[in-house]
This record gives sequence, C-alpha cells and structure tokens, in this order.
Amino acid sequence: MATGLLFEDIFDIKDVDPEGKKFDRVSRLHCDSESFKMELILDINTQLYPVELGDKFRLVLATTLNEDGTPGDGEFNPLWENNPTRADQFEYVMYGKVYRIEGEESGGDVTSKLSAYVSFGGLLMRLQGDANNLHGMTVDQNLYLLLKKLAF
Amino acid sequence: MVKEQYRGTDVAKKISQVCFGVQTPQEMRQYSHIHCVSKNLYSQDLSHQAVEFGVLDRRMGTSQKDKNCDSCGKNLAECVGHYGYVDLELPCFHAGYFRSVMNILQMICKSCSRVIKCTTCLYCGAMNGTVKKCGLLKIVHEKYKSATKKIIRPEIEEFYQSFSLAVKHNKELDNFVHRAQEDLNPLVVLELLRNIPNRDLPLLVMNSKASRPEDLIITRIIVPPLCIRPSVVTDLKSGTNEDDLTMKLTEIIFLNDVIQKHRATGAKSQMIMEDWDFLQLQCALYINSELSGIPFNMKPQKATRGFVQRLKGKQGRFRGNLSGKRVDFSGRTVISPDPNLRIDQVGVPVHVAKVLTYPERVTKSNIALMRKIVMNGCDKHPGANFIQQRHNNMKRFLKYGNREKIANELRYGDIVERHLMDGDVCLFNRQPSLHKLSIMAHFAKVANHRTFRFNECVCNPYNADFDGDEMNLHLPQTEEAKAEALFLMGTKNNMVTPRNGEPLIAAIQDFITAAYLLTQKDVFFSRAQAARLISYIIAYEDRTTKIDLPPPCIIKPSTLWTGKQIFSLILKPNKKSPIKACLRAKGKQYCGKGEDLCYNDSYIVIYNSQLLAGAMDKSTLGSGSKNNIFYILLRDYGQKVAADAMWRLARICPIYLSNRGFSIGIGDVTPGEGLLQAKHQLLTEGYKKCDEFILALSRGKLPSQPGCTPEQTLEAVILKELSVIRDYAGKACLKEMDKSNTPLIMAICGSKGSFINISQMIACVGQQAIGGNRVPNGFEDRPLPHFEKHSKDPAARGFVANSFYSGLTATEFFFHTMGGREGLVDTAVKTAETGYMQRRLVKSLEDLCGHYDLTVRTSTKDVVQFVYGEDGLDPTDMEGKNRPVDFNRVLQVVQANFQCTHKKPLCEKYIKSQAEDLLKKKSEISDDFRKDLLNFINKYAEDLTKCRTRYGINDNGKTQPAVLYQLQRITSKQLQEFINMACSKYMKSRLEPGTAVGALCAQSIGEPGTQMTLKTFHFAGVASMNITLGVPRIKEIINASKNISTPIITAHLTNDKDADIARIAKGRIEKTTLSEICSLMEEVYQPDDCYILIKIDLQRCRLLKIEVNADTVRYNLYILTVHPAANAKQSLYNIVQMLKEAMPKVVVQGLHAVSRAVIHIDESDAGQEKYKLLVEGNDLGGVMAIPGVAGERTTSNNTIEVERCLGIEAARQTIINEVEYTMVSHGMSIDRRHLMLLADLMTYKGEVLGITRYGLARMKESVLMLASFEKTADHLFDAAYYGQTDVITGVSECIIMGIPMNIGTGVFKLLHKPVKKVRGERRNLIFDQPELHLNT
Repeated sequence: MATGLLFEDIFDIKDVDPEGKKFDRVSRLHCDSESFKMELILDINTQLYPVELGDKFRLVLATTLNEDGTPGDGEFNPLWENNPTRADQFEYVMYGKVYRIEGEESGGDVTSKLSAYVSFGGLLMRLQGDANNLHGMTVDQNLYLLLKKLAF
Repeated sequence: MVKEQYRGTDVAKKISQVCFGVQTPQEMRQYSHIHCVSKNLYSQDLSHQAVEFGVLDRRMGTSQKDKNCDSCGKNLAECVGHYGYVDLELPCFHAGYFRSVMNILQMICKSCSRVIKCTTCLYCGAMNGTVKKCGLLKIVHEKYKSATKKIIRPEIEEFYQSFSLAVKHNKELDNFVHRAQEDLNPLVVLELLRNIPNRDLPLLVMNSKASRPEDLIITRIIVPPLCIRPSVVTDLKSGTNEDDLTMKLTEIIFLNDVIQKHRATGAKSQMIMEDWDFLQLQCALYINSELSGIPFNMKPQKATRGFVQRLKGKQGRFRGNLSGKRVDFSGRTVISPDPNLRIDQVGVPVHVAKVLTYPERVTKSNIALMRKIVMNGCDKHPGANFIQQRHNNMKRFLKYGNREKIANELRYGDIVERHLMDGDVCLFNRQPSLHKLSIMAHFAKVANHRTFRFNECVCNPYNADFDGDEMNLHLPQTEEAKAEALFLMGTKNNMVTPRNGEPLIAAIQDFITAAYLLTQKDVFFSRAQAARLISYIIAYEDRTTKIDLPPPCIIKPSTLWTGKQIFSLILKPNKKSPIKACLRAKGKQYCGKGEDLCYNDSYIVIYNSQLLAGAMDKSTLGSGSKNNIFYILLRDYGQKVAADAMWRLARICPIYLSNRGFSIGIGDVTPGEGLLQAKHQLLTEGYKKCDEFILALSRGKLPSQPGCTPEQTLEAVILKELSVIRDYAGKACLKEMDKSNTPLIMAICGSKGSFINISQMIACVGQQAIGGNRVPNGFEDRPLPHFEKHSKDPAARGFVANSFYSGLTATEFFFHTMGGREGLVDTAVKTAETGYMQRRLVKSLEDLCGHYDLTVRTSTKDVVQFVYGEDGLDPTDMEGKNRPVDFNRVLQVVQANFQCTHKKPLCEKYIKSQAEDLLKKKSEISDDFRKDLLNFINKYAEDLTKCRTRYGINDNGKTQPAVLYQLQRITSKQLQEFINMACSKYMKSRLEPGTAVGALCAQSIGEPGTQMTLKTFHFAGVASMNITLGVPRIKEIINASKNISTPIITAHLTNDKDADIARIAKGRIEKTTLSEICSLMEEVYQPDDCYILIKIDLQRCRLLKIEVNADTVRYNLYILTVHPAANAKQSLYNIVQMLKEAMPKVVVQGLHAVSRAVIHIDESDAGQEKYKLLVEGNDLGGVMAIPGVAGERTTSNNTIEVERCLGIEAARQTIINEVEYTMVSHGMSIDRRHLMLLADLMTYKGEVLGITRYGLARMKESVLMLASFEKTADHLFDAAYYGQTDVITGVSECIIMGIPMNIGTGVFKLLHKPVKKVRGERRNLIFDQPELHLNT
C-alpha cells in the first residue's frame, strides 16, 4: 500500500447509456475488465472526455496523487498542476468517496463477489468482482480515479 | 395600559364555581336602586332630562360621557351600573321557563299542588287531566275530558250543568259546552306553584336552595343598568335613539298603567284580559324576541333584540364577547414573500412597528438604549410612544414635550412603551386558523416596506399564498408571554405537524425546482462559478461562516465541481461543522431497480452530509415526507441546524435559478408532430372502442358487470376507456417532450403541477365529470342541442379532445365550465361544512389533556384513555410510521458517524449478548419498545451470519481479503451508540404531561377535512358498490349517524378459495322472494273451499343455489296451512285477492335488511383468487350467522350497527378504521393515536356518542361550555331551573371567566400548601398584664 494504489486494470466499454441518454453531458459506461474479470459501471463527463463504444482504457484507483504514495491531506490545492503528480500520465482524473461496499443480494451460493460504490460528486462508479481485487477498500475512503484511453 | 401579568397567588378571591338559579322578586328588590314607574323617558320640557323613576333614570348608571351616575357619582368608564325594577300588575309566564312550568303542572295536582303520578290525586282525590299549550303562552288543563265516551264522570256532568243558564239564554253555546276546559292563567299557576311543598321539589328535579317554582312566573321585572342599553343622542334629528330593551320596558310600564287604570275604573273584564295578554306578550318579547306563533295582529312591526338574542349566535355575548375578544397590539396587512428572511422571521413594515409597542422596563443593561429610544420619540423608528415613570403613576405621551429631559430623567424601573424592534417575538396568524400551526411566533424584522413578509418555506402551515392574502400580527406584552410564545409557538419548534409527525415547513415551489436543477448529474461548475454560487450563503447571521470548498470531483482535463458538491455545502459549509446527516431514499422518478445506480439518478444518497447520488426533489426537500433532508437534520441535530440549512437553501436557490434562467413560453406547450400523431391515433382507437360498446349495448350484447344495469355498465366502460386516453396522452407527452421543458421539469421534481396538467395543456383536456359521471342531460335527451338525441358518443357527453393549446370548441368549452363550476360549488359548500365540523370537534375535545400519570382525562378528571395512544408517545415525534424510531435509519447514521475504522467487527453471538446487556441497563424504556429494538438487532445479527457463511468468512477476523469484513460491519462502539440513540429518541418522543392532546386530535382531523374536495364516492372492489367518502363520510362517522348512506358489511368466508361456496353464501344472504322461485301462483275456488296454489320451480332453486323446498316455504309462509277465513270486515274473495298481491313479495330466504350482496375477488398473491362478500345493508348479526361466512372476520362500516351487534369496543375499532380508511383514500395520513383518542371519546361513556349537540350535552356537564356551543338560551334556562353549578374547570369556561386553564403549562401546580404563619403572638391587653398592675 505504500504506493497508494488500490486497483488497476484495463477495461473494455461494452455499453454506453443502456437505458437511453438521460443527461446531456454525462454518460454511463458499462465496462468489463480484461485481467481480473471485474465489471464496472462508471459515469463520466463526456463533454470533457468523449468516449465511444468499444473504447479501451486503463483505469487506476489510488488513494493519493503523489507519486511517492504519501497520503494527501484531502484539501483542494489550486496549485496542484505545478507539481508532478500521478495524474500527469492520465487523461481524465476524478476525486470521490467510497461509500458502500456490498455483497450480492440474490442467490444463496457461496461467492466471493463484492461491489464497491464510489461517488465522484454525484458521478457514480460501481466496481464489481472478486473480493481479492477490492482489497484495501473501506467505506468512507477518499480515492482518485485515473483514466487513460488505450490506442489500438 | 401595561397589562399586568396574571399571578394565581396574587388574587384575593378566586371564582370556584358559578351557580345558576331563578331570581326571586325579593332578590330583584334587593339588587335594585329604584322602582321604575314612569312610562316617560324624558321630561317634556326643554331641559330634556331623564324622568325620575323612569327607565332612563340616571340612578341606574350612565350611558353618556359627560354625565355621571347619580348613585355612585362615577363616570361612564367607572360606574358598574345599578339595577331598577318594575312590578307587574298581573303575573306573566316567563318565555324561557314556559316549558318547565308546563312540565311542573303536568306533574302536580291542579287543586292541591302535590306531585302526583296518576290522574286522580292521592292526597285530595281531585281529578286531573293533561296540561296542554293552547295558543301563545297559554295553558289549558283538560280536566273535563273523560277517557271513554260512554262513561261520563259525575264531576264532568256537574261542570257541564254549570253552563245550563248560559246555554238557556244563548242557544249557540250548546255546541261548545263540551269543549270547555279549565284555563290555567298565570295567576292560577302562580298560586299552584306557590303551594308546592318544599319536600316535593326533589321530585321536580329542582334545587330548593337555588329556586322555588313560583319564581318561574314573572311578577317583577328587573331593569338592567343604562350602560347595557345606552340611549344614543343623534345629531341628525333631535331626540335620542333608544335601545330595544328600553323601549320594551316603557311599553311594559305603559301596559301596567293601563291595567291599573282599567281595574280602578272597573272596566270590562274582556278589556283587562286583552291588556293582560298584551303585557304577557311584551314580557315574553323582552326576553326572547324571536318567539314563534305570535298571532298576526299582535306581531311587532319591527324585529327587536331581546336578551336571548343578545346572548346567542356567533356575534352574541357568549361566542362574540366572552369566548373571543378583540385585542390591542395587533396589526393586519397584505403578505409577500422574502427568501432573504430566515424561516423564523417576519418582515414588519416600519409603519406598523411604530404603532405596536412593547412596555419595556428600564434596567441597568438597557438604559442606554432606552434613552436613545425615548429621544427618538413617536415618529422615528426605534422610538417610543409613551413612558410611565416609576415614581408618578402618570403616563406621558412622547410626541410632545421635552424628550431630551425625559430621557435624561430615565430611571431604573420606568416603563417605556417602545416601538416594535428587530428581534421582538410576535405572533403571526392567518385565518382560517384550523390548526395550531396557523398561529406561530416569529422574530420581527422591521423594514421599509408596506407588507408583512416571510420566507416562503413557512407558507405551508399557514396555507398562505401571495395573491392578496392578508395576515395578522400580535405583539405579546410581557416577558413571560414572549418566552412561552417562543418555545411553544416558535416556527422552529413547529416545523413538524402534530398530525403525523411529517415536516410542514419545508422547501416549496422554486426552491425545489432550483435544488433539483442544481443537483442534476450533469451540472458542473468551474472554480469561479462554484465559489460565486456558494458565497451567496454568506449573509446576515452567516456572515462569518467559513466555507470549505471540497476538492473538485473532476481534476483532469479541467477542474470542475458538480452541483451536488455545492448542495452538500448547504448542509455542512465547512469541515468544523459537526453535522453528519445521512439519508437513503427513493426519489420521485426512481426507476425501480439498482438503488444507487438508478438511471434517472433518482435514488438519493446522503452520507455524512455529502450528497453522493440522486437529484433532490419534492420527496427529499418538500413537506409531507419523512425522508426530507431538513427533517433528518431536525431530528438528529436540532431545530437550529435544520432552520439554518433551510435558509441557506432559500438563499442559493432563487439565485441559481435566476442565473440559470427558468421560464415558460408558448413553445413549451406546443405539441410536436409525433405527439399529434400519437394523440390522433389514441383518439381514433378510443372512439372506435366506445362506438363498439354503444353498438353492443343497442344489440343487447354488452355483458353487464355484477350488480349493474347494461346502461350503467356502458357508462363505466366508456368512462374507463376515455380516462385511459388522457393518461396515455400524458405518457406520450412525457416521451415526446425535451428534458429541458420547464413545465415538465416542474412536474418531475414535484414543485408544481402534475403530468395530467401538462397533458391537458399540450395534448388533450380529457373527460369532464360531473358528480363522477359523464355530463348529464341538460336538454331533452341530450346535454346540449348540438348533439343528436340519446347520443352516447364521447363528444356528446363531455369528452374534450382538444388541448388548452389547440383551443376548445364551443361545446367542449361549455362542458369544461360545467366541470369547473362543480369544483367551485364543491369547495364553497365544503368550507362551511368542515368549518362547523371543526368547531364541534374542538368543542368536544378541547379539554382532554395528558397528565403526569400518562392518562388522558377530561377537565372533570374522567379518564378517557389510561395510556395515551396505548403507548404514551407523542405523534409529533414519530420518526417511523406510527413508531418512534426508524431503526434502519438510525443504524445507518450511527455507522456513518462512528467509523471505528480500526475496530474489530462483531459477530452474531457478541451482537446479541452485548445488545441484551446494554438494554438491561435501560430501565426507562417500555417493554414494547425493548422488544422491537431487540428484534431488530437480532435480525441484523442473523443476517450478518447468513452473509458471512455465504462468503465463507470466519468470525475470528482472519479471513482474507480483509475487505470482506466490510460486509454488514458493526462494531461494539457502533452497537452501543445505536442503542443509546434509539433509546434517547424513544425517551424524547414520550408525551409531555399537559399536552392538549384533545385539541391536537380535533385539529388533526378537522384540518385535512378542508382539503378533501370532490371524489365523494369510490368503488369498493366492484363497480356497482359505492362507498361514501370525503367530508360526508367523516361527518357520518363523527355524528354517529344511525342511518349511514352506504352501509356495507364485509364478510369473509370460511373457505375463501371456492367460488361455489361464495355463491351459496351470497344466495343465503340475499333476499329471495317467493315470486323468484315459483313457477305458478293461482287462486283456486272450490265449492267448499278456496285457496292459493303455489308451485315452486325446483330447477330454478338449484340454479340460484337456494336451499328452498316446500317445507321452508311453508315455514315462512304459514298462511298456506291456514286457509283464509272470512271475517266481518272483508269477504273471502277480497282476502284471497289481497294475499295474492302480497305473496310474491314474501321473503323465503335471506335477510330483510340486506338489499344485495356482491362477490368480491381478491387477486392477492400470484394467481390465487380469494373470494369475499360485500353485503349492502345493516344486518351484521344476520350475516355473521349465515353458514359459510366466517363470523369472526366479518365487519361492517356502520358504527352503530357494530355497537349493537358486537359491543362498544368493536364500535371503537370501527370508528378508528373507518376514519383512517376515509383519510387514506384521500391521500392523507393521520397518526393512529389521534383516531384512537377520537374513538375513545366517542365511546368512553359506554355508548357511541356523536360529536353533535346531543352527544356533547351527554359528555360534558359544564353549563357555560354548553351555552357557548349551541342552544345558548336553552342551556341557561335549564341550568337555572335545575339550579346547576359550574365548577370552572374546562377550557371554554376558563376562557369565559378569564381564569388560566388547567392545560399545557397550566397543568402543574405546587402541591405543597404552606401552613399560614400567624404573624406575631397575640399579646394581652396592657391593662390585663399583672406585672403592670399596681399592688394596692
């Protein structure tokens, strides 16, 4: 945990706004991960960062933007752009909070699938998959989401 | 004018009771100062002096400012008035006691005055007949009337004989002799009453200490003081205008003189009798001028006001002057909105502030301010109008005079009547004051406008809008009153309605719209925009608030904040703020799955005051929902936090909205091409279907619904079809319209308007209903002459296919006005009806109050409930539905507030054992609550274990990955906090002793009544069976009506899955007449016999599932066995004919009181059909006894019937259920505790008493209370007759007598009575002291 990294994987966009486009500037992406078989639902601001069906991107969840992994103070610093941060390598970065970790509601079989809900100021993310991949997540934890499209 | 504060211990004498009695002539004489004898009012000479010993003699007080009373020498303001009296020449009946006198005469012997029971007196043997009223105020004793014609008693014969001489001289009299009876004139009656011995008085239910029967006859009239019947000097014409009472008194004196003169001169007895009659009438009119049955020639020319008229009615003494009074220190003007004011403020115009004053005592801390204020005087705002200096009792007006000098002379203890200033507590009220929230305390904020202003959030409790409404403002005059008003009536203390504990002060209209738009998912702000928006909350009291802008949610490509982050700052502006509100709730547009991930973004998640998901809308901001965020703040963090947050919202919302822009134009209601097409298609389809139905009906092929005629069925199906059109049109609108459409946004977020309103504007106005049906015929066989006769198609029956945008055709417009008028008439009628209902409810419930022993008692200490609402909890503080605590929410809050990140989560065993340990220490909570709480915790623990076994997690905490322990995580600390919080919430929700639970109950039931408009009927399962609803139904229940308009018995069946059994039971209940089951009925005449032959159609019986055979028919029709026999009156033939007429109607089977029964099919769970019977009628006992009906589960909606059949407790339950059902079907919720109290009050006497004047008279004893309700005069006269006493305990009586009542803050008393110390020892007289004696 020294690096402050919580999760990293490459996702494929399987669906965009399956129930129809409800908001002008925000789309909901349904994605599957390549290595850990994680399912992801993510709202992103498409006006700022347009995405298309079939795009691939690298997603990193981290507790801090500092390269060395020292935890941030949770304060907004308007001067952050001047310092080199982890965000420099990514195209789209959000800051939010894990507010709910839940098991699967239906089915009585033994599973180890968990869902983590994160809200980035109202833009929601649900990361669902094996509990081992959600290791290190706790409720009420602040985290950064970093995104970068992969070129084919 | 400083109002002295009432201090119970300071009064020298206390009114303990009021006794009523009949005034005796001796008492009148004792009260009086003069004997009035002169019929003239003023002397005839120029001096225009009141005549001595006339009724305007100034020894009876004064009615003019410039003249003083001759008895006490005081002026108009100070003289209390003195009485006079007039002696009547002949006694008269008293208009008020006339009926009592009749009753007494009925009971006594008319010769010896003893109380008797039978016609012949036991004491003197005299014969007595009935006593009757004969004409106006005349009594006749029908002594000479024998029971049978044949036997004429000797006394009667003798009496008739006494006329023989008269008859001899006047033959015409002969016919009238037999009608002669004894006349009981007042003189005779007076003598009779006087002779009633005292020992017989208890038999007449009279109180011998208070009154004697003879006092019921007037022999002397008391003349009231001048001040209550002032003579008004008019400037226009010379002379004076006299009061009605004065005029009546002069007439009486005049008649007295006439009778006296006639008697002295020996005039004809006929003339004296005539005068006497007239005197009698005048005396009666003096008391009650609205007598009925006055002969035409004696009727007074113009209506006057007698004593009864002065007392009774809304403007009368009781309701107009004693129960409610005009007050000083109040103002009234138009209201307007001001979102910049906090919710506990009211903007007061400076003009008003300069008139309303508060008497402030000068103290060390305010003397500087007071100096300044006195210096300012009357005309400059923070000024003062009067000053009362302590050393001299004079009040000085500050408009003139040397104010500077006065200011300098100001000393501690002086009283300055200063202007109303910022921060003063004042009461703000809007009529109709239907509930306690209609008058609330606000802090004044003086400003330079001309209207009262307040925050729009407070519109709801007052039911105010700003279309010209006016409101009243009162300024309490003592510190005690201010403090009490602030804590009991303050807006902040009344954010929640006691009706059901839902918040009433909440965001409305624009606030909701703006908050909804702000919290949309795609609202982003740059740093400058975010900072600018949030900075608007920095104002007034929040001037110094620090705001911590959170990190932006999007950091790259550019930093952006969302509206949700801004909204979160409204709840918690900075990190230091301790507020951590938590909420998870469905919004109005919730899509039904996925909770947080709802694609409409309508699942609201607030976590530690951060809005994480969902757009705020009516359900989370508006009134009437316990998921309101302000309600959460109020319950968890107190009123100040909630009020502050609401105010911040009120500031940000209008600003955001005006920056963003939100308006409506014609484009917003213009339908698109797709919508027009969709609508066209809908209409053609709908019309086609209707045509098919009409065609089917004309061919007789329309299958009729159970219990309906084919015509009714047609109406029902067409109505259904047409209403579907409008609904579909509305849905089509929703689909077609753009997301940015403003009417749509308003409908979605719930701020104003509904989808139906939108669809009416854009697509189709829809069917116009009048009384729940389509438009009826206004012309011959058609509603309007534009249509063909008997036309049933939609357009001819009030279907409006156009929209408001496309415009209505002439006929459509006419139909629309018909519907509109019905609405107007309905509201007009309903306001009057509910107003009266409210008054009755309040009068009967006003004195109920919770006591220290948890009981609810009336003012006479009768127990109505042993524990209020069965659990002793206050409906205001219910967080769950009828429950004090919503455990789920409390647990969420605790888990969010106490993270305990590094603590070990508990397992099932520990949770259970720890919970039990913790609860053992909580001795104060009730057993029910303890059980609920334990159940919840155990369930949570069991779920935890279930979850852990599924994931294979060890209880020892070593399973990897550790993230699995986040599931259903609860730590020891959290559990402890949860239990503490739940228990403290429970303790807080207990009813405070002294709460006026009765008044709250009355208001909670009466106030929603005003909102119940239209929809007076509703179908109970099947189309044919109506149930009355709305105000008429509530009225029926409350009145305890014997005959309700739609009595329905709901009968469950012993086997509710079998349709056949249901049909058999139905057959057993419904009436089957002989004509329905017989195939033949004929008269048979034989030489020796004649009878009627009936043949029963057994096949038909089997078909109808009727268990009828010849035996049961014979059992029910015993006539068959007895052949008719001729009697004296009728021939045999006639009897046979009569029987033939009557026999088809004979009920062979079924219940008489039941008109019909309908099978109701419940499709509750998946395909399983359940049958029950709905029976229209009253015979509950009969239905319960029918085989096949499950008697123990059979109920009726008729309270009285249930009481008769099942007893009082069942009736109580019926009242509760029925009121609740009616309220719920109008979309209103009322806490069950209120309904329980109402039902208990109606049943606690052992029988169902209605909340009417009759029921009320049996519930309450207090004369003053009953007199102030209805039938004022009757109650007072009765009280006087019975010599009742009123121990002033109830609310009405206390108000009338001006005594603080024993409710609310008046309920507690100091039980300790100090032993009075004798001051100083009594010393012996100085001469009695032996040591001072000289020893001589």
